[in-house]
Amino acid sequence: MDLEAIVQRSEALFRDQDLSAVKEWKSRTGGKVIGFMPVYVPRELIHAAGALPVGVMGAGEHAEIIRGDAYFQSYICRIPRSTIELGVSGKLDVLDGFLFPAICDVIRNLSGMWKILFPQKYARYVDLPQDFGAAGRAFYRRELEGMAEDFTRLTGKAVTAEALRRSIKVYNENRRAIARLYDLRSEAPHLVPTWELYLILRAANVLEVTEHTKLVEAYAQAARQSKRPERDYVRVVVSGAFCEQPPLGLIRALESSGCYIVDDDWVLGARYLVEDVIEDGDPFDALIDAYATKTVSTASRYESTALKGKFLVEQVRSRRAEGVVFAAPSFCDPALLERPMLQAVLSEQGIPHTGFKYAENTGQIQSIKEETGTFADSIKLWGTA
Amino acid sequence: MFLTLGIDVGCSAVKASLMQFDPAGGGPKLLTSEGEKIRKRNVKDVIGDCYEKVLTKQGVKAGDVAYVASTGEGELVDFRRGHFYSMTCHSRGGLFLAPQVRAVVDMGALHAKAITMDEHARVLEYRMTSQCASGSGQFLENIARYLGVATEDIGQLSLTAKQPETVSGICAVLAETDVINMVSRGIATNDIIKGIHLSMARRLVSLLRVLKAEGDVLATGGLAQDAGLVAAMQELAEKDKMAVRFIADPLSPFAGAIGAALWAAVRHVKLRGTSRSSSEARA
Repeated sequence: MDLEAIVQRSEALFRDQDLSAVKEWKSRTGGKVIGFMPVYVPRELIHAAGALPVGVMGAGEHAEIIRGDAYFQSYICRIPRSTIELGVSGKLDVLDGFLFPAICDVIRNLSGMWKILFPQKYARYVDLPQDFGAAGRAFYRRELEGMAEDFTRLTGKAVTAEALRRSIKVYNENRRAIARLYDLRSEAPHLVPTWELYLILRAANVLEVTEHTKLVEAYAQAARQSKRPERDYVRVVVSGAFCEQPPLGLIRALESSGCYIVDDDWVLGARYLVEDVIEDGDPFDALIDAYATKTVSTASRYESTALKGKFLVEQVRSRRAEGVVFAAPSFCDPALLERPMLQAVLSEQGIPHTGFKYAENTGQIQSIKEETGTFADSIKLWGTA
Repeated sequence: MFLTLGIDVGCSAVKASLMQFDPAGGGPKLLTSEGEKIRKRNVKDVIGDCYEKVLTKQGVKAGDVAYVASTGEGELVDFRRGHFYSMTCHSRGGLFLAPQVRAVVDMGALHAKAITMDEHARVLEYRMTSQCASGSGQFLENIARYLGVATEDIGQLSLTAKQPETVSGICAVLAETDVINMVSRGIATNDIIKGIHLSMARRLVSLLRVLKAEGDVLATGGLAQDAGLVAAMQELAEKDKMAVRFIADPLSPFAGAIGAALWAAVRHVKLRGTSRSSSEARA
């Protein structure tokens, strides 16, 4: 498949709110489908039960929220409203279950709301521990075992150690393919426009993992062979967009404002683990160890003050970025509370930064473009923001 | 010696400027500037025509240009090397055209901006008009069409006004309604136009007042050619006792393209990694 066809296919999957690809998988395999909210759930467990994990990241930019607004106060982000809207309008009927991982209070409340609205459907709040020592690990094991029991009941297929090890292996392959694509973008950002990479990543939400890995690899190969002109753009890392996603137009606007995005944190669940999960031994131990020690740093995960910003600074250095663009959803408590701490660390390190807020349906992109464009100009011409 | 080219893709016109730099000294030299009205044509075609026109006029080939920089709707310029924001370019172009200015007012077809800068053309602050079209060149062109006046005659007509009529400065729809009423009341065309100029000037002068602009202020963008509008800004600024003098240059509409070409040179020198500092390209 050529580059254009791969991107077109990925964009079609991204825009399809009827989840046709998921429905097609379900009718072909007869398997169950389990949805999950950002940021991280151990998709390997779902896969090991023979079910399809499906990422739900709100309704995007075009959905009109009619009923969703009735369930939440106005001063919170948009993703819970639009997710409810998808649910009550039947767009998520294909899901047999739904996981709500610990991100913030809003998503915790959404899980409760979901259980009340759809009592006939399986729903679970995934209580990810914020203690990564022995107590946290023991707690997380109970959480994983609980989920495995739930999935076994739901699918009728036991989550065996062997099945889980096989799932760990295919997800490792997927993360490695994505990591290689991120490396390619960092080496040659003109060959891998971020809006395309984003569409490829979003396909991970609806495709079976091995199919997605093939898509990532096919895209990377086609992009590497493409003949796209190199621009004199500023290399930036985007940080803060790990839950509610920006509209595609906003990502395109960031790039056309003169920025090469060389790292980011959108669709972070697909890249939450930064190293392979151990493929032999007790697979539960492997998943626990990976969660406790091999992850990105993100605002929904506890980190001591001493370590705050270290991951981001390292990202900037390793990707040879010239600045950081903080992009967070309006009212996103985790991202916006963390931002001043990260900004302070960047300022200390002499790394230029700017920031803005968005919603998944943000229409006023021009002012954001102006902000990031002048930021890029300042770095290019003056070396500072 | 090297060449750079700036292309400013606006809402109603595309402008291109070709500049020559001699690292041995002498400062940047503006070789030529060309503009093309878009007039419902495909913008990419207009960009291509404008680009060709500049190169042909100077007898240079595309490969002779070291760096092409876009500004405005730059993503439409497929052959660009880099892109700079409009205020970054208008401040630099303004400083080139009038080295004494520390403020420019960029008056385009859809938006207007007031910008203050330092002696290196680094933007210090800026303010934009709100989204309403009543402060824009497009609005003025529409009014000229309703009144049956050629766009290039607007400025001189305005300067002959005796009793300008007040026009809504808030909304283009209300302003157009005002104009229709004035025509039916038999108000002279020059008084109507001056009223519109004063209404637009009020908004622009307010932006500059907020920025505490002082001294010479260069008008840039397509509307800088409108002597009536520049005079209206001066009139209001004097009434408000602001210490500013509005000036315009025949090349003011090209300030964005000139600025882009100048910044292109800074980046070219930097990327080329010469031992010479990029400040020589700024000279």
